[in-house]
Order: sequence, then structure tokens, then C-alpha cells
Amino acid sequence: METGGFHGYRKLPNTTSGLKLSVSDMNMNMRQQQVASSDQNCSNHSAAGEENECTVREQDRFMPIANVIRIMRKILPPHAKISDDAKETIQECVSEYISFITGEANERCQREQRKTITAEDVLWAMSKLGFDDYIEPLTMYLHRYRELEGDRTSMRGEPLGKRTVEYATLATAFVPPPFHHHNGYFGAAMPMGTYVRETPPNAASSHHHHGISNAHEPNARSI
Amino acid sequence: MRQAGAYSGLLCGGVSGRTGPHSLPLARIKKIMKNSGEGVKMISGEAPIIFSKACDLFIEELTRRSWIMAIQGKRRTLHKEDLASAVIATDIFDFLITLVSNSDSHAVGGATNVMEVETIDYS
Repeated sequence: METGGFHGYRKLPNTTSGLKLSVSDMNMNMRQQQVASSDQNCSNHSAAGEENECTVREQDRFMPIANVIRIMRKILPPHAKISDDAKETIQECVSEYISFITGEANERCQREQRKTITAEDVLWAMSKLGFDDYIEPLTMYLHRYRELEGDRTSMRGEPLGKRTVEYATLATAFVPPPFHHHNGYFGAAMPMGTYVRETPPNAASSHHHHGISNAHEPNARSI
Repeated sequence: MRQAGAYSGLLCGGVSGRTGPHSLPLARIKKIMKNSGEGVKMISGEAPIIFSKACDLFIEELTRRSWIMAIQGKRRTLHKEDLASAVIATDIFDFLITLVSNSDSHAVGGATNVMEVETIDYS
């Protein structure tokens, strides 16, 4: 490969073409549909695909490509280009990352006989799995978020460890703590319960609307 | 340097917005968390919020390391093999090796079906 005025590739190397085409045609079509759909819904909220079941399932498995690319662009110089196969691969890596951390956090919950994965469990799992550099910015982010939800005075400024104890108490007593009355994290725009019991995976696959657009969810839980 | 980039995200008001400039959709994160295993029952409302920032940091780190691979190859387009090289070179990304390796082994098996493809790079 020679240096000079050449401005990047217009054609992929053969090996990369092979890599790209190893994906089945159906998957490629699904992926392309998702890319188009994500573009249409850029910066709004999760697209509720109506085309077909496969598209919905595909969209549920990955972060929207437009959001991922925007984050990548923050790091890359202005002249950098991103090939389509790199975009698809990093989407898969992000989903794998979420599943990897969630699996570890969930194991901790089960060992301690708790049913709800908390932010602290996620931070603990990241530290255990080697993402120590992320803990400090994420802790600051969480504190900032809690400050913005200022009406929950009972938890303001409390150390993370103490809050974990409260969850343990909740798990034992099955009684919601006093702050349960202020469970809207984003005010009226995006009501989310403090504890949300999701539908099982089978039902979820046919469940097409998204939590973000829901009305305020009922807090009643069945064990 | 990366720390500074991470902190600036805190000041953009992305936390309370539905999808701020540095956030990812929370509903999608919850779906992926739910699908990560049968044992996942309930998810605190704050866990997806932590993940939206964590995925931001993860994408930034993976992109930065992949770009180093691309410029070492004297290229200005980020390719899949740059991501694979970055994953192999970084310990904390070991859990991704099977993901990129499966694609590689599958590609070898499907070599006879290779067709010439031209990539359109958007910028």
C-alpha cells in the first residue's frame, strides 16, 4: 500500500467482502431495513417497526445505528470514514456488552436472594469484569441524575452502600420504601416505575409498543 | 483525555432528556437486559440509565482503539477487522472475541459464495 493523495477505499478488500457476505441474505436485508428505519427515527425514540416481525425482532436486539455512529464520530477525526461492516459489528459488540454485564449483575442478585438488578449491581459487575475506569464517571453521572430528581430527599447525597441496604430491606419485607411515591424519573414526559416487572420473553416478542411511550405504569407487583 | 470527554457528557443535560445528545434509548437497553438471560426478573429504573452512559464510554473506547489499528494500516476508513484487532489487543474486550471470531470462521466456510461488493461510505 502506497502513501500519497489517495483518499481511502471505494472498494473493500476481498477478505472483507468475504466477511460481509458470510452473513445470510435475510440478515443483510433485515439489517438494511433497520438502518433505514433508524435514520427515519433519528434522535426521537425507539422505532416501533410495523413492517414485519423480523424487523421488530432485529431492532430489539441492537442499539439504533444512528446513535452509535454519532458516539463514534465524537472520537474519530472529521475525515474518518466508517465501513458498513464496522457499523454492524460495533452494534453487535454493544449488545454483547450489555448482556455480559447484566449477566454478572444478575448472578450477584441471585446469590444475595434479591430480585431487582440495581444501578449499584451494574457498577459492581463492571468493576469485577475489568471496566474499573468506567466506575468514576458513571458514579458521577448517577449522582448528577439523582440531583436532577431532587424531590427524593431521603436518598439525596446518601452513599451508594447505604442504598443497597435499603434494597435488601425491601426484598425481605416486600413493602415499598417511603420514596416509592416519587417514582417518576423523568417527570411526566417519561414515567418509569422504580421497579418494573417485564413480560416474559415469549410475550415480549409480540409486544410491539415501548415503555417510553406508555402511560404511567401501575406499580402493583405479583411475586 | 478520555476522562474529560466523558465528563463533558454530564453537562449536556442528557440525563433527564428522553434521548439527549449523549444517551441511548432506555427502552432498548431494557429489552437487551431482559433478553440476556432467563434469570433476569426485575430491573431498577436506574440500571438502564447507568448503561446508557456506560455504552457511551464503551463505544468511545472501542472506536478509539479500532481507529489506532486503522491508522497503523495507513487507512482512513474504519473496517471490521480494525474492530477485531482492537478486541484481540485489549484484555477487557475478551468477551467479544467469540463474536468477531464466529464471523471470521463463518466467512471462511462461505468463501465460495463471495461476490464483489462496493461499499458506500457516508461522511
